[in-house]
Amino acid sequence: MERVNTSLRTKLAVTAGRLAAATSRTLGRGEGMVVGGKVTLGLSPHALADLAGGRVAALVSATNGKTSTTRLLATAASQAGPVATQSTGANMTEGVLWALANGPADAPAILEVDEAYLPRVLAATRPKVVLLANLSRDQLDRMSEVAMLARKWRRMLAENPDVVVVANADDPIVAFAAEKAQQIIWVAAGQEWTADSSVCPECGTLLSRDGTDWSCSGCGRARPKTSWQFEWEKTGTAVGPDGQRYDLASLQLPGRFNASNATMALAVCAELGLDLAKAVTLMSTVTSVSGRFATVVAGSLRIRLLLAKNPAGWSELLDIMPPAPTPVIIIINSNDADGRDPSWLWDVPFERLKGRTVIASGNRRRDLAVRLLHAGVDAVVIEDPFAADAVLPAGTRELAVIDCAATYTAFQKLRDPSNEELAL
Amino acid sequence: MKERPIRIVSIYPTLLGTYGDGGNVAALSHIASLHGLAADILTISPGMVIPDDADIYVMGGGEDTAQVAAANALRASGALTRAVDKGASVLAICAGYQLLGHEFPDADGNAAPGLGLLDVFTDRLPKRAVGELAAEPIRAGLTSVTQMLTGYENHGGATHLGAGVTPLALVTSGVGNGDGTEGAITGRVIGTYLHGPCLVRNPLLAETLLGWAIGQHLDPIVEDAVEELRRERLGSATMSK
Ligand SMILES: [Zn+2]
Repeated sequence: MERVNTSLRTKLAVTAGRLAAATSRTLGRGEGMVVGGKVTLGLSPHALADLAGGRVAALVSATNGKTSTTRLLATAASQAGPVATQSTGANMTEGVLWALANGPADAPAILEVDEAYLPRVLAATRPKVVLLANLSRDQLDRMSEVAMLARKWRRMLAENPDVVVVANADDPIVAFAAEKAQQIIWVAAGQEWTADSSVCPECGTLLSRDGTDWSCSGCGRARPKTSWQFEWEKTGTAVGPDGQRYDLASLQLPGRFNASNATMALAVCAELGLDLAKAVTLMSTVTSVSGRFATVVAGSLRIRLLLAKNPAGWSELLDIMPPAPTPVIIIINSNDADGRDPSWLWDVPFERLKGRTVIASGNRRRDLAVRLLHAGVDAVVIEDPFAADAVLPAGTRELAVIDCAATYTAFQKLRDPSNEELAL
Repeated sequence: MKERPIRIVSIYPTLLGTYGDGGNVAALSHIASLHGLAADILTISPGMVIPDDADIYVMGGGEDTAQVAAANALRASGALTRAVDKGASVLAICAGYQLLGHEFPDADGNAAPGLGLLDVFTDRLPKRAVGELAAEPIRAGLTSVTQMLTGYENHGGATHLGAGVTPLALVTSGVGNGDGTEGAITGRVIGTYLHGPCLVRNPLLAETLLGWAIGQHLDPIVEDAVEELRRERLGSATMSK
């Protein structure tokens, strides 16, 4: 079927983009998506709007968990037929465009979008729903400050009054960003990491907190009343506006944060008119997301690959690691995509790893080693822990699988397709 | 040696702790214990009363709105000024350094009043300073730091030093204050753009602060992991020059 909304110019631009991407792949320069997207946008500046053509069901944005949440939501939405979504975590303009241009034609789209790119992607794609989950510090040498990002989101929602916002009421910065929208579904999704929302983003007053409740004595802003609730006790439960409970114990993605992500995804499903019981069943089929939580072979070891990019993310990951004395591998890089400054290591509660030996690696392994020294955690510094002759802590090689938590570039290297992914 | 533990106050880490600044307090505590010294850490949140009889006060970096909130609360309290008068030492990083001066730029670029504990004022650099910072300490008499200082800087402030302060160091790589100098010191009040965190990467500076607190010089204790990190970082700062 012809897409009536797609202009001829955009069709030609997409063809040119695919060609550029294929050339880039042939030359061994990666998947070619960014190149292809750039070529398409260069030839047809309105390509994103053309390709969206009113079929974007939801955009997902957050500092942490957007790739996992998008995968959960897209899988849940597949109950109604094919869905256009990213197969990788490419979430800037080119990645969004690529998913729309090369996904199933005319299918509803569910897309993750980088926090800073969200305003322009939302304006171009006009989604039905936007999910806003959390905002915290992430690569401060590269990204805008958290409060500035929230102000951009706020302006975006004022300028696009038709979009339904599903937002985490427990994150005061997200609540500030979302509050001006015409239609908001507030979710009590929890907030483990509060260090970046200690002051009111509007007036700078220190926020008062009482459990998950928060308020500002300066401007009277307070945590909104929520219609969806997330509960956690070893496993998660989502509670809908009508009191209906959805047991999330069958989720295969580990940890409190993934159950919280699933709750927010479920609230979006409700807005999209999907069957919520089916949505939970489908979300429970997701075992790994673009390599996150996947078991892979790395050199002489089998590892469960964990990705963490910032203190909030790390704080969540430490909770799902097996208890001491089981050793774990931590790889810290400071390449451009990781953020050049790893001083955030001092914000991560590594003390929780006491009683085991941490294998410290990555180009900032020495920063990690000093951090662990101060935390009272034993560490061995090893440049390549996957080498056959690496001297690893006793018992490491006997483990069937060892947890390996890594920053972005180290993670990407380990999930290289040459590392065979094992079926779990 | 003093009988009572060294009292260390971490000022408003919820407002001024953006760049892993908690590591400075952790380093003081860790290095104190290497020297067999007991240390009590008191963490002050906004709204709490700041004691004026502690030995060492530490504050870090923060976003613009948080920096203004912290400066206002500290000016209203007056405790830091009283503590300095009584001989306490202060280590302030980045936004904390700026708010110790006479004025600094707020989120809109207007001058906000600081504490005036350092004779400096801050306005904006033409371009944000981000990257490894290495600096050679000067006037070794003021601190017992004799080795190169290493850190990471991430700030948009140009800090101008008045006659009442001495720069802490001379920049060999990076931006620092913006005029070739880095940081400022007067008496026992130190401001610097070095984070990373500062005391983790420069244990001699931590030993200076602890030595002041107990009234006696501490001979440096070298830890291999820290030494290796320093070597690597100073090497990378030179390379990126
Ligand atoms: Zn307020």
